[in-house]
Amino acid sequence: MKLPSALSSPATRCLVAVAAAALVATGCSSGTPGKEGSTGGGTLVVGYTADPNTLDPWKATQFQAVHLLEQMYGTLTELDGDLNVKPGLAEKWQYADENKALTLTLRQGVKFHDGKPFSSADVKSSLERIQKPETAAVAAATVKSIQSVDAPDPQTVVLHLAAPDAGLLAGFATTNLAMLSKDDTSDMVGQKPNGTGAFKFDSRTAGQSVKLTADGDYWGGRPKVSGLEFRIIPDQTSVVAALQSGNVQFATLDDPLVARSAEGSGLKLTKTPSLSYHVLQLNARKAPLDKLDVRLAISCAIDRKQVLDTAALGEGEMTGPITSPAYKSDPNARPCPTRDVARAKQLLAGAGLANGVTIPAIVSQGEYATSVNEAQNLQAQLKEAGITLDLQTLESGAYVDKWVAADFSAAVALNGGRPDPDGMYGRYFTSSGNLNKVAGYSSPELDKLFAEGKATTDPAKRKEIYTQVSRHLEDNAAWVWLFSSYGYTATTQGVSGFTPMANGSLQNLREISLQ
Amino acid sequence: MTAAVAGQQVPLATPPTRTAAWRRLLRSPAGLVGAVLVALVVAAAVTALLGMTPYEPIAQHPQARLQAPSARYWFGTDQFGRDVFSRSLAGVGNSLRVAVVAVFLSALVGTTAGICAGFYGGRVRGPVLAVTNVLFAFPPLLLALTLAATFTRNWLTIAIAIAIVYVPIFVRVSRGPVLSLRETDFIKAARVLGIPTWRILVRHLLPNLAAIVIVQVTLSLSWAVLTEAALSFLGLGSPPPAPSLGSMVFDAKILAGTAWWNLAAPGAVIVVFVVGLNLLGDGLRDALDPRNGRNS
Amino acid sequence: MRSVARHPLARRLVETVLTLFGVAVLVFTTLRAIPGDEITATLGTEAAGLSAEQQESLRAYYGLDKPLVLQFFSWLGNVLTGNLGFSRRAGASVLEMTANALPVTMELAVLATIIGLLIGVPLAMLSASRPNGIRDGFGQLVGLAALSVPNFLLGAALLTLISRYAHYNPNAQGFAHLTQDPLLNLQQMLFPALVLGFGLAAPIMRTARSALLEVQTQDFVRTARGKGVAPWRLRVRHVLHNALNPIVTMAGIQFGYLLGGAVVVEQIFSVPGLGRQVLAGIQQKEYAVVQSTVLVIATTFVVVNLLTDLLYRVIDPRVRAA
Repeated sequence: MKLPSALSSPATRCLVAVAAAALVATGCSSGTPGKEGSTGGGTLVVGYTADPNTLDPWKATQFQAVHLLEQMYGTLTELDGDLNVKPGLAEKWQYADENKALTLTLRQGVKFHDGKPFSSADVKSSLERIQKPETAAVAAATVKSIQSVDAPDPQTVVLHLAAPDAGLLAGFATTNLAMLSKDDTSDMVGQKPNGTGAFKFDSRTAGQSVKLTADGDYWGGRPKVSGLEFRIIPDQTSVVAALQSGNVQFATLDDPLVARSAEGSGLKLTKTPSLSYHVLQLNARKAPLDKLDVRLAISCAIDRKQVLDTAALGEGEMTGPITSPAYKSDPNARPCPTRDVARAKQLLAGAGLANGVTIPAIVSQGEYATSVNEAQNLQAQLKEAGITLDLQTLESGAYVDKWVAADFSAAVALNGGRPDPDGMYGRYFTSSGNLNKVAGYSSPELDKLFAEGKATTDPAKRKEIYTQVSRHLEDNAAWVWLFSSYGYTATTQGVSGFTPMANGSLQNLREISLQ
Repeated sequence: MTAAVAGQQVPLATPPTRTAAWRRLLRSPAGLVGAVLVALVVAAAVTALLGMTPYEPIAQHPQARLQAPSARYWFGTDQFGRDVFSRSLAGVGNSLRVAVVAVFLSALVGTTAGICAGFYGGRVRGPVLAVTNVLFAFPPLLLALTLAATFTRNWLTIAIAIAIVYVPIFVRVSRGPVLSLRETDFIKAARVLGIPTWRILVRHLLPNLAAIVIVQVTLSLSWAVLTEAALSFLGLGSPPPAPSLGSMVFDAKILAGTAWWNLAAPGAVIVVFVVGLNLLGDGLRDALDPRNGRNS
Repeated sequence: MRSVARHPLARRLVETVLTLFGVAVLVFTTLRAIPGDEITATLGTEAAGLSAEQQESLRAYYGLDKPLVLQFFSWLGNVLTGNLGFSRRAGASVLEMTANALPVTMELAVLATIIGLLIGVPLAMLSASRPNGIRDGFGQLVGLAALSVPNFLLGAALLTLISRYAHYNPNAQGFAHLTQDPLLNLQQMLFPALVLGFGLAAPIMRTARSALLEVQTQDFVRTARGKGVAPWRLRVRHVLHNALNPIVTMAGIQFGYLLGGAVVVEQIFSVPGLGRQVLAGIQQKEYAVVQSTVLVIATTFVVVNLLTDLLYRVIDPRVRAA
């Protein structure tokens, strides 16, 4: 034989030895599927696809960052499973002065992870800093109505509002309004987190993992697991593989196809309707979309169910504008409850565009799984009504650039929802809203409705007002709301006690127990 | 003919005549197989680019999701009920047009720069070699990746990104022969006689370079196909919904366990394409090798 | 007497420095041309809700408010003093990140090169033992496969196979460095190294084959054969030894390419190497991370080339003498 002759040179012999050693090492240990299995009693390993891109809670908008930070930070209020407001760091509250003063009573005995007690001075300092432009806090607009903050005693905070703001309490329940110690800057916690949440920061390795340990002093009681490890595995398919091999015990998935592949492989999969919604945004400030008839024609020419079935495997629910459970819009309360191509053509003809019209639309690639397929289906459907959707597929950075600058006629988008309808759409559809430029539509009626919705705290009245808001948006085809998808939670069999939330929050990781 | 004279004086022998080279190419098994495979792939690509695929490559048929290969769907369907065969053809069409344009551009720019740097030396050589060195020191895939992220993405800009990466290869390949050619008595004589430089370049240099450049082009085509596919795999290639072989492989990863054809089909197509180009490249190199020309 | 500046080594050094400067300029400018910046990459569409003052303060925060020329030279100046910048995403300095990632990439490249040599050289010897025979055909076929199967395809298929059917996925366990847990580390490196090594085998095999063929025809081989040296001994001692030169050069070149070219495989197998560091940096628009990492890769590449050159001289006494 000729091959073994290669082994005789000392150099090659050495190489062979190294390779053999590697193979033996592999062979020896492949029988034991990872050491993680044995430590499973304590630490929950959460699989996720990217590094959190910031540890500064006031600037975190990426899912991964928010999911991580909400474990470590406390907020004044929290949300329950139905997204109703429940006490957080504030134990109770009381409106006064015709809803223009809000007194919060803080929980006692709460401590930051560095051992300092949490008090009203921290709330005052946090809120004031969030409002300062230099801080560049993304939720600054949510607390815009707060004119001043008083801290009469360590347990009491009084917020003086410029005008009543019924959405404020629900608005507080976001990590972007996390309470920081008055002695910390957001830059400092960006390096070394220091919050009041159920888990403390332990360590992180870029591109690999972030480790947290349970906080024994947590006001809600020590979490059942001793710690969390957020492990970065670059794509969702590999995350599922890691779940199947038991190296990861918990993961959230958003691609319906990946979720299906996880189903039926011994994993527990939970589906939760989500607040975020898939939408064809129209910019009513750009011709020809400034014509109501053109927008209505688009809205009538689209069968939302078909988009859902084709692009998202039917995994979701058709939706109107408002997705929060307590204020949910009736998906059929719109000018064309079902697809009506004849009416669409008629509307177009009425707008003097009987020969058809071309609308450029931006689509992001990679921002979420179904974007391009949705866009394609919309394109195919609109074509039948004589509307040409000219798709421009953009890498997510370029897409965000255009979206932020409102530099588009139409945009295929997946937008996040919020528990309170004012928080959800006030920023988009009031003429002074900070996202109105992107929304591309406003009207005096809407301004008035949103103002009324803020002024009253009576749930029944608010429900009625936001039904009108929803109807107004649909009747004017401000955008074309398509469907809301599901969020998926996949866990191994030994994991129990987790309640998923419609806003995608993982705050209930603190309730999880491992077998 | 002057070429014959040149043939005796220039260290690089004249390449064999075109027909002889062809015959030699087709007589070698590797070259023949390569030529057939490439012809097949090009035919498929042209079919797709002319829009003559059995199904619309991007048309979704939700009722026909994840069908296994059959008489109706030769390569099966994907999760959106799109015909994998049609998509593979369209993917090849896309790969081919990116690769051809990329290699054409880099060969054109690279060879021109290489000839100038070799022939003129001095002022031209410095900058050309500096740029070449920089491009060489930049990891090729990372360079392609960065460039691809820069442009508004479509197949043409991807081609340009890949072209930039391959320019230095053509500079190096063409400069060497020019350097040695420049010093030959024949060229010196031509210059003394006052024959215009461009004429010397076109009449005497190009024929001698052609063989080397053609071989390099064929090999670069296969690299370009692979680079385009790798970029698409990383999500930085031609944007969807236009089918691309690399992104088809990426999308199929998740289906590989249940609907293997989604991974196998585009994978096999890439491999066949690249094997064909490599064989053809090898065959061409043998056929066009001046040493072979002298022997026969 | 020749002045120092004229010395070939000095000239090469100057050239190297200029090249690296060029790389710095190139990466700096292309990055700036990519749409979006660290603000939109971090905040996504929420960036639309920022007020003008907030935007301004963020631009200052991310160091984007200064003129480009200033940004460039302050970055370059920092790099020269050993400060490669800071990654907000990683919460670590780029130096620290690179110190973590470089050994990983190096290890992967070394393993892949070893595997490439282990596949490529024996294959070439097999082929060269009887040119144009069946063995040669087999050798060339494997070489062709190695050249034509893209590493992302091989990687994706391999990962699917092992994790789906063998339920074995060491790469999902969180990366272990060689110094932390060598056993786990080698398991995690094995498949990516195999994928890269297989690809590397092609150029090595081709180079080795033609080198072997060339050496075989030389007089000293014929003399040795005439003297009755055993065939295998002849092949290894005489032929392979004399053909090592181009093989080492090729392996060196390929090794250099692996430093940045392993990005796809690193991504598939979650190996935290330099390629992924650059990719993540591009996605997050962390300019300093990408610029510094690319510069590190380019420098390593240039140094490896230099070393290959030197090694070449050691192996081949003729070059040394010349």
